[in-house]
Amino acid sequence: MTSTPLCPTAPATPAALPPLGMALLTAALCLPLAPLAQAESQPERGSITLKYLDYKDSQPGWNRIWVHAPSVAVLAPVGENWSVAGSLVSDVLSGASPAYHAEPNPFKIHEHRKAGDFTVTRYLPRGTFALGASYSTESDYVSRGITAQGSFASEDKNTTFSGGLGLTSDQINPNNKVVVNERKNITDLMVGVTQVLSPNDIAQLNLTYVHGTGYYSDPYKLLDNRPRNRNQTAMLLRWNHHLDSTDGTTRLSYRYYTDTYHVKAHTLTAEYVQPLASGWTLTPMLRFHTQGAASFYVEADGSGYPVLPPDYAPGRIVSEDQRLSAFGAFTYGLKVAKQLDKDWSMDVKVEQYQQNGAWRVFGTGSKNIAPFDARMIQLGVSRLF
Amino acid sequence: MRFITKTTLSRAVLAVSALMVLAGCGLVKPVQPWEKGTLARPEMTFEGDKLDAKFTEHIYGSKEGASGGAGVGGGGCGCN
Repeated sequence: MTSTPLCPTAPATPAALPPLGMALLTAALCLPLAPLAQAESQPERGSITLKYLDYKDSQPGWNRIWVHAPSVAVLAPVGENWSVAGSLVSDVLSGASPAYHAEPNPFKIHEHRKAGDFTVTRYLPRGTFALGASYSTESDYVSRGITAQGSFASEDKNTTFSGGLGLTSDQINPNNKVVVNERKNITDLMVGVTQVLSPNDIAQLNLTYVHGTGYYSDPYKLLDNRPRNRNQTAMLLRWNHHLDSTDGTTRLSYRYYTDTYHVKAHTLTAEYVQPLASGWTLTPMLRFHTQGAASFYVEADGSGYPVLPPDYAPGRIVSEDQRLSAFGAFTYGLKVAKQLDKDWSMDVKVEQYQQNGAWRVFGTGSKNIAPFDARMIQLGVSRLF
Repeated sequence: MRFITKTTLSRAVLAVSALMVLAGCGLVKPVQPWEKGTLARPEMTFEGDKLDAKFTEHIYGSKEGASGGAGVGGGGCGCN
């Protein structure tokens, strides 16, 4: 094992670390020098995927939102060095979300969102360059975005550096007219490195920074008035490991998130992909998320009424949005996929999600707010061409 | 660009420094091209099922206070 001056030192007592700990430490701190990662290459065949999402959320005594979302995605190689990809989704949403904390909004929503994106990718001997555009429209919100992304691999293609820039411009016209022609503009930046660690291990570190200005408040919530600037930073570490003993693959990820609303969050995800006989694959998954509240979140007092801070005055920055409260959340799920023949495959994924203030770690969770549940089902079919 | 503040710059420097540390450490034995069969399997890639990832990010992004990490763009919506 060698180390460069940039790599502080090898662990002082490597023998004390179990193999998993050692591998994680290596992945997190000192990815290999010369050769890095999997270079992205042009797909040999095109694919078309149809997917249907059924989403339903609730809290004790109240079914909140129901979403049905069919979608289609196409990826096609073009010539020897190009590909085009695109997707369309139609989101139909009905129900009601909370007016504040977890208290029902008396006004029902029925919304139909249509969104699409398109990407053109150029494949180079040791890298890729891609340009994309996206569009999303619903009765009160229109979003337009463009992206540019690139990657560059080391000579042995064991390490790949990647970067991206995204610009999004949103136009907001709430149906209740509390504001008119509001805007939100977002700039996204991403840098990342992907490293092959062994014939059975690959890791990735991504850093993203989002700078946004404009209307961030929720026009359908009572007293919701958020800062017009929001900067968000996230660090995502992912590690895939193949087990020769079972032919299965573990997929682990950790994300640290912080923003200028003072929300800090940790998110851990674990999946295990197990191929079985006759083209079947089972993928159980588990996710845990914990976050602290935004600095301007106003805690519920248990009365069921909105809470005004003692020094409240119109225009003050406040929010009683459950999503900005302090909580922990678990998701558990299972995906079952079947390769039908060399061209066709299908899959079903079922997930259950629950948020609860009492599950927050690294601090105290928000109190007096009902737990929140969601159930997600995805059905998919895919064909290569 | 006016949005590039001192904080942004220091974060960018931190990010680049982290990447340099990663690239500068020679702890991993290079993997040869003929050893990459397993790495080419779909479950070993980070992209995976893109529509699944898009749904999942959209749902968590609209039900939690945190989002991002996997890439840029993604399209805004009124659900957040």
